[in-house]
Amino acid sequence: MPMHAAVRVEDVHKWYGSLHAVRGVSFELPKAQVAGLLGHNGAGKSTLIRMIAGFLTPDHGVIEIDGVDVETDRRSAAARIGYLPESTPLYPEARVEDYLHFRGRLFGMPWSARGGGVSRVVEQCWLKDVRKRRIGELSKGYRQRVGLAAALLHDPPVLVLDEPTSGLDPTQVREMRGLIRGLASERTMLISSHVLPEVEMLCDRVMIVASGKLRADGAVADLASRFTPGGLEVEALVHDEHAAGRFVGALGAIAGVTRVDQRAVGPGGWRRYAVHAAAGVDVREGVARAAQGACVTLREIAPTRATLEAVFVRVLEESAAEGTA
Amino acid sequence: MKTGNSISRAWSGAWAVARRELSAYFRQPAGWIIVALYLLLCGAVFSVMVLAPARPATMRPFFDVAGWLLLPVVPAVAMRLFAEEYRTGTIEPLATSPASSLTLVLGKYAGGAIFLACMFAPTLVYPALLTVYSDPAPDLGPIATGYLSLALVAGLYLAVGIAASAGTSNATLAFMTTLFVVLGFLLAGWLGRSLDDPWRSMLYRLSIPSRTGDFAKGIIDTSHVVFFGGAIAWCLALTVGIVQWRRWR
Repeated sequence: MPMHAAVRVEDVHKWYGSLHAVRGVSFELPKAQVAGLLGHNGAGKSTLIRMIAGFLTPDHGVIEIDGVDVETDRRSAAARIGYLPESTPLYPEARVEDYLHFRGRLFGMPWSARGGGVSRVVEQCWLKDVRKRRIGELSKGYRQRVGLAAALLHDPPVLVLDEPTSGLDPTQVREMRGLIRGLASERTMLISSHVLPEVEMLCDRVMIVASGKLRADGAVADLASRFTPGGLEVEALVHDEHAAGRFVGALGAIAGVTRVDQRAVGPGGWRRYAVHAAAGVDVREGVARAAQGACVTLREIAPTRATLEAVFVRVLEESAAEGTA
Repeated sequence: MKTGNSISRAWSGAWAVARRELSAYFRQPAGWIIVALYLLLCGAVFSVMVLAPARPATMRPFFDVAGWLLLPVVPAVAMRLFAEEYRTGTIEPLATSPASSLTLVLGKYAGGAIFLACMFAPTLVYPALLTVYSDPAPDLGPIATGYLSLALVAGLYLAVGIAASAGTSNATLAFMTTLFVVLGFLLAGWLGRSLDDPWRSMLYRLSIPSRTGDFAKGIIDTSHVVFFGGAIAWCLALTVGIVQWRRWR
């Protein structure tokens, strides 16, 4: 039996009138991977998510969920995917349990499986206390959990969450993240988010969409090394300004170093420097030699860890530059 | 076997949607207010125009007024069916379920139709009262065909309303569109009087009063039943088309 990717998106395009919202996006998510989809507003992220969930139809390209084409066999594809739309639209007049039963009926779950399924997701999403309450009376955090419970009810192998923590207070965000982390081990998940640390925390892989195109795709560490130039964080004991000037000069003279910034002066004269270098150039030995030459005691040489935010900004800058070129 | 399973799944999906619609009507004050106002006016008409001494034992005045009352009531019932889903975004989880657009449309139509049936049901007490108190007893044939006519007219209005509701996210706009289309059906014969054939006869055939007159006399003309059935099916097919088209936009 052939192994299918959990999600396969191939050369997908979407136009809204003359606006080319999604421009030839392709990627595959293997089973049990948690991927984050990043992009600013209007980047085409929600359109892409909606096409994967089967709400919008692509104008070109193929989307498969667990080997099933979303367009030609929408019913089977829908049964394999759990979808939490942005802002979690629900029926305010319905009771939590009634809503979940309604979703179960809609997914063709027989009575026996539905009862068990509802109890399972109520437990899983911590909804026990509110199962008899009307959805309109619940806090945003609880409503979000009801939406997640509805997405999980038919036990889909793929979960697509569009901005799952948007509009939640910090406690609710923490709870929701905990919930998502708990689900991650069993399922393939695609999470769209504006919150970069959240993506960094929850996802194995990050995809950045800008101007309708997939601009970056990979693990956070890989993207960091690809999109930010190499560099080091250096901590050294420098006794006076004269020595500091000599050390910075020596650092700047190392082949491949593009800039040296002093970050902070700590207690006891320990100073931190950011040594920026061209990508792929290892300047560690040069730093050690510069320290020796300037009679400076080194305490730490560590590679600069580029944040996801830095990667995101860099990708958007590149995309903008390409757009204006 | 596969076809059988698909039909059973589609039926179960449509029934789920119908049940949800029905509970939404009865869980909101608007549903109860619509039923109460309709029954209040029907009751007033029945007491004043039907259950009066020396009047013939016929429900005809009741059916005339009950039919006109459907003009604001059914568009009000139909307007939220899809428009509200599009406005609040609940169409998204609905349309990404395995239920097809046809299943959703049939389920919503059935939900609205069952709600209207619940609204009509208490009026069955009127013919029962008439049978008990009037001498000679009323002819039950025209009463039965009167109810059939009421059901067909309400069914047509509801089908027009669901199509209008699918085309917009604005329930008020859906209400007004339904109202004007239905008024067009009601006034088609009158509008056609000043025209020459074939327009005159075509508009007369489209006119609802020209179709319901026979029912009031106790006659079931299959051509009228086919007209209503065909028009309802056409509107529902149009609704499915609109829901599908909105996926492509």
